[in-house]
Amino acid sequence: MDTDDAADEDGTEPTDGSREDVPVTGDELLETFPRYRDEEDVSVLEIPGREASTVPNDEVLRPELAGPLEYDLYAHQAEALAALEHDENICVATSTSSGKTRIYALQIARNVLEARARGERSTAYVLYPTKALSRDQERELNDFFDVLGLDISVRVYDGDTDPGETRRQIREGADVIISNFAGVNTYLHDHDRWARFLSTCDLVVVDESHTYTGVHGMHVAWVIRRLKRVLEYYGADPQFALTSATIGNPGEHSSALIAESVTVVDEDGSPTGPRELVLWNPPARARADGSDGDSATAGGSEDEADNAVVERVPASVEAPKLLSHLCYHDAQTLLFTPSRKLAELSVKRASTHRRDRSRYYANPDRGSEIEPYHAGHSRTKRHGTEHRLKTGALDGVASTNALELGINVGEMDTTVQLGYPGQRQSFWQQIGRAGRGTRRALSVLVAGHRTLDQYVANNPDYLLETDVEDAVVDVDNDAVFARHLLCAADELALKGADAGAFAERERLERAVEMWCRAGRLAGHLETGISYVGPPRPQGSISLYATSGEEYAVELADGVDERHDPEMEPLAEERVLRDFHEGAVRLHEGRQYEVCAVDHDSPRPTVTLRPTDADCYTRTRTDVTVLDAVSEESREIGDFTLHFGRGQVLVYHGTYDRVDVDNGDPKEQGLPTENPPLSIETQLCWLEVPDALERALVERYREFSLEDEDGDGDEDGIAETAHLGYAGGLHAAEHATIGVAPLELMVDKRDLGGLATLSIDSHLERERGENGTTGKGGTSGEAPRNVAAAEATVRQIADGLEHEPKSGWFIYDGIDGGLGFSRAIYENFEAVAERARELIADCDCGRVDGCPACVMDDQCGNDNQPLHREAAVDVLDRLLGNESGEALEADAAESESGSDRRPPLFYS
Amino acid sequence: MTNRDGARLLALPPSAVLGRPTETLADVDTTLEPDAVWLLGPEREARAFARTRQMFDAPAFHPPLETDGEVVSRQPIGTELEIAVVRSLRALRASPADVSSALSDSRSTPIAVVCDDVTTTTRPTALETGLEGAAELAAALPPGRVTTVLTSGVPAGYDELWHLAAETGAIRAVEHEPQLECEPAGDDCVSVRVRGAGPVEGYGGSASLSVLELDETGVTAVDTYERSDFGLEAVAGIGPKTAERLADAEVTTRAELLETPIDKLAGYPGVGRDSAHRMHRHATVLEAGEPRRLTDESLPAESGRPPLCLDIETDGLSPTILWQIGVYDPADDSYRAFVERDDPDDPAPVLEALCDWLFASHPDRALLTWNGWRFDYRHLGAFVARHVPYYVEEWESVPKFDLYDWAVREGHALLPGRTNKLEDVAGALGYEGAETGLDGAQTAAAYQRFLRTGEEFDWGRHEAYCEDDCRALWHVYERLRDAPRATDSSDTSPAEAEGATPSGTTGGEQTGLGDF
Ligand SMILES: [Zn+2]
Ligand SMILES: [Zn+2]
Repeated sequence: MDTDDAADEDGTEPTDGSREDVPVTGDELLETFPRYRDEEDVSVLEIPGREASTVPNDEVLRPELAGPLEYDLYAHQAEALAALEHDENICVATSTSSGKTRIYALQIARNVLEARARGERSTAYVLYPTKALSRDQERELNDFFDVLGLDISVRVYDGDTDPGETRRQIREGADVIISNFAGVNTYLHDHDRWARFLSTCDLVVVDESHTYTGVHGMHVAWVIRRLKRVLEYYGADPQFALTSATIGNPGEHSSALIAESVTVVDEDGSPTGPRELVLWNPPARARADGSDGDSATAGGSEDEADNAVVERVPASVEAPKLLSHLCYHDAQTLLFTPSRKLAELSVKRASTHRRDRSRYYANPDRGSEIEPYHAGHSRTKRHGTEHRLKTGALDGVASTNALELGINVGEMDTTVQLGYPGQRQSFWQQIGRAGRGTRRALSVLVAGHRTLDQYVANNPDYLLETDVEDAVVDVDNDAVFARHLLCAADELALKGADAGAFAERERLERAVEMWCRAGRLAGHLETGISYVGPPRPQGSISLYATSGEEYAVELADGVDERHDPEMEPLAEERVLRDFHEGAVRLHEGRQYEVCAVDHDSPRPTVTLRPTDADCYTRTRTDVTVLDAVSEESREIGDFTLHFGRGQVLVYHGTYDRVDVDNGDPKEQGLPTENPPLSIETQLCWLEVPDALERALVERYREFSLEDEDGDGDEDGIAETAHLGYAGGLHAAEHATIGVAPLELMVDKRDLGGLATLSIDSHLERERGENGTTGKGGTSGEAPRNVAAAEATVRQIADGLEHEPKSGWFIYDGIDGGLGFSRAIYENFEAVAERARELIADCDCGRVDGCPACVMDDQCGNDNQPLHREAAVDVLDRLLGNESGEALEADAAESESGSDRRPPLFYS
Repeated sequence: MTNRDGARLLALPPSAVLGRPTETLADVDTTLEPDAVWLLGPEREARAFARTRQMFDAPAFHPPLETDGEVVSRQPIGTELEIAVVRSLRALRASPADVSSALSDSRSTPIAVVCDDVTTTTRPTALETGLEGAAELAAALPPGRVTTVLTSGVPAGYDELWHLAAETGAIRAVEHEPQLECEPAGDDCVSVRVRGAGPVEGYGGSASLSVLELDETGVTAVDTYERSDFGLEAVAGIGPKTAERLADAEVTTRAELLETPIDKLAGYPGVGRDSAHRMHRHATVLEAGEPRRLTDESLPAESGRPPLCLDIETDGLSPTILWQIGVYDPADDSYRAFVERDDPDDPAPVLEALCDWLFASHPDRALLTWNGWRFDYRHLGAFVARHVPYYVEEWESVPKFDLYDWAVREGHALLPGRTNKLEDVAGALGYEGAETGLDGAQTAAAYQRFLRTGEEFDWGRHEAYCEDDCRALWHVYERLRDAPRATDSSDTSPAEAEGATPSGTTGGEQTGLGDF
């Protein structure tokens, strides 16, 4: 996103050349920050700058366009424009402020000039991920076309646009219409009203395309496919221009979104100055005196609030101090926080820090103009803050990621991140806010307690590796496909020609048959299929859930509207896990309690009321996998890795109330009143070779669980020889899921896992074994609850005629699947490598690990058993590391091969 | 109201009975004149059933309460017909033979079986739709022929023919157009024609009542109504809450509403003077069966030559061809149909013929449709632009009017008729139609079959259907033209007439769709 383009043109760019460098360097920060530090806790990395690489404008552009431009094009801009000239689709994946907007703006200008010369029109559909960005970019584009001296009308058309005449005028008159995908989904219903605009459409822009991943990404992919159908109907065949933050697979991701080939432009020709990157792990908390005891505050986000073993000062306390300190030293600083509440709190804490250290900060007013910024503020207030940042009137801002995407606030001296933002892509986009032109910049990452934060703090090189996460978007989810198919039929009759273009024929025919049987579609593919269900199927699409079963989030009766959390509707899977009755949730930094959940009405709802509790809630989950069918497999050494589909039964049956301060449970085992959830989804699983299993069972056979409360051994397995090995699988399962976001743009909350000593009993049974096939299409046979499913699994295990394989499953926790476990299947070695590092490098020194390595608050088995060493052994062997080879010796001596293995499994 | 040869079965959900005033149910009874009332299962609703039996003259049944110690009971519908009512799938599972014997009774074979547990189950992740109860039906129903099963488990209008393996109930195939062709699939197959009577999701809430027209062949037609089409709520501006308040004041019928003075009505909470007037006016319209104009606005194309009344037939709701375009010219009482009979792959000739004729012979005439902005004009515009682009400009310059839009959405008139379907409105205004027994969906399906198979097509019947709609439209237009304008009527002050425009219809069932 390049909102700074126009600023370049109209000369508002700050031209203060008096300071060559950032006001504070990394080393100066370490020297001046008023506190003793352990050297091990901080690393300073140097990232070199980059020279500009430009191409003269007149080599690329016709004179009318080249003339008015003050600066030459960067090489990547020229390359992208050349590709567009050759009728290619493009994806530009370069840094923040590298002039991506200008590429499509110039292409629009070229198209319009050419069309006008022929006496025709040319239009462009420009799609942003948020409405705020749409308004911002409307201004930027208009300003840019003014500079070019072109009369090109750019209008926003979205949910905030006045209905009626205004909309009609835009549809009929605008050259460029700016909208978002929720809008496109809706407006396709009335495509005949858009005929003028669509039939002359030469360019579709998908800005910030990397944001379209997971469930949202697949909806967007289908909206684009529907849009293309309608465009084709009106005789338009536009090019696509996508712009993306730097991601690992821009070409693949873009092609998956638009179902066409895409030329990737990722050689960044824009200049940057050198940058210092400080990884700042907060110091150990002073336990007794409480001088750093702002610990009454929850962690930064839902995920962070979970720590039982908290040793370091939380990032939410440490980062505001850095913000305060840097501002004091004349560095205009932008602090990124994970929530609105923390943005507000950070500003207060920054000033508290000044007062607490008044001897050091002798002049309390120096650099003290610091404001919060987030989407909860009014538009006027936000514009005011943006303006004061741009003009230098503000010394610092604490902001949510609302300032990560595109809004034009000029450039800062320094960024501070309160916690690792979870993705390298996002990390780079945020720190890209620091750096004035080619001068030095400083960025500080304050690590939180979470697994990923600690991984990054301990492995600084991770951030500097050239690879960035792959963005995962997947169109294999049939539930999502089927819903968009209804919309497509409503928009234009489905015909044989849609086979191949819209969906592969067999899939299309099956989906059509399904809906005809359900009375939602009518007709035949030869002659045309129409939608005949309730009006406007587009309205029932939620761009954030896979099924129509989504829950509206409402405020309890009598609660003031201003407490409205304004949440997107929730997918059923999320409601059952996180929004059961009695759950206490943080949303955008505000705390809510769920007071009612209505599962049964045609329009299911979750009702919230604001609360101020000193605890949060954590569900306990039983999971099992049934009827998994392998669709693909591959060997990794002597391991076998599978990808396939299966049924996952999830039961979030009880929950605990946990103290915010120390993570201690206050109340345990409260009922959620949830129904069990059964999803049919995608999964991958790893089978460990028998010899390794025997060796590890032998090596760790002494391991046992301390059965503190005496009732933990419900299955009578605490003493089994397999427990240490099972703990290794369980730990490896947690760790591989935990680090998946280091390699892939996946949301850990959408993944689940199951470690098992008997993979075979979770697979679909062969015909004949136990007399039945697994599914056979009769829904009546599937177990209705988790207990029954677990019993089934044990029963199958007992009936197996051969020794089963052991290993672990990773599944997509969303009905129909998201492509996440598929991506993990394809990148398993890289994920395993990260998991190994995480476990081996953690300095907790405990056999069963800590929350920063293998413990997981979503664990269905209370994080037992876990065995770090055994997990590292398995991963070493998988990765072909030497220590893995040595295990064979143990195996040879093993005498436990004949032990009957218990059918243990842990989620 | 149309087909009196057969019998009428009213399908009534318990929610439409409980908590509704007696008078509203009486209005349902007198308006729909059922020969039998089916209080829908599968939930057992004893109270609702007692009330239903009390309120309706016709015999009533409620499957969960049809005990008599039998799994199946027989229910006469009118004088000639009979249906078999099954208590539940569970009962059916327990003794399938009872149903078999009931159905093979040679003295009188029931025309359908009612079972409210039968429903479809869709699993999008597997791209499969199954039939709940398939195994039970396969075990109980006779193989080698088609049995109609009526259920509230699927919406009214649902009509699919499921061929089930007689042995197992496994799905062999599903025919999607049994209204065109309904044959059994062999002696080892139980063929079940499942027809819905459950609530239909619509634009404004749910149409939850349906009337099934039956004859000895089964179901011949299904009409749906909303709860609010009856009683006081049929009056625009009276929702459930207002109806409740009025009921507290012992105003429960439209006649009583009309007897209540405006001043008094206006005094009730949430009513006010304007809406009190509005209620009176609409109640009068409904009671008298006479339309009423609310403004001084002239009818579309009222001066000069009358508009041409137009109606199109397509091959589906998302059409690939507009295969029939009918135009009735009231000026000389002539009707003209443009029909594609020869090359159904090419949508252009019909459009070209229409345009040639229209621009050559009637260059200055306006067009009139019923709900045309949503359908006829919408598709005509798109098809003209695509297939006869040289006529686009002329087409766009033709004055086009939508009588439904003018009356209902713009709020210039009130119409009698319980729904806003042209057939209903025209019927309430005394129009006697041609009774082709068709509707738009059937016509579309039939034409699609002609497209696919080239089989013979009953052109006469389908053309008569289109012509009937054009003439019905003109009938409504004439009745509206003859209705007095706002200022002509005695109980309306000029000030009210001004204020009576669109806002007058934003409540109640006359609301149109929001603009997008
Ligand atoms: Zn650890
Ligand atoms: Zn676990």
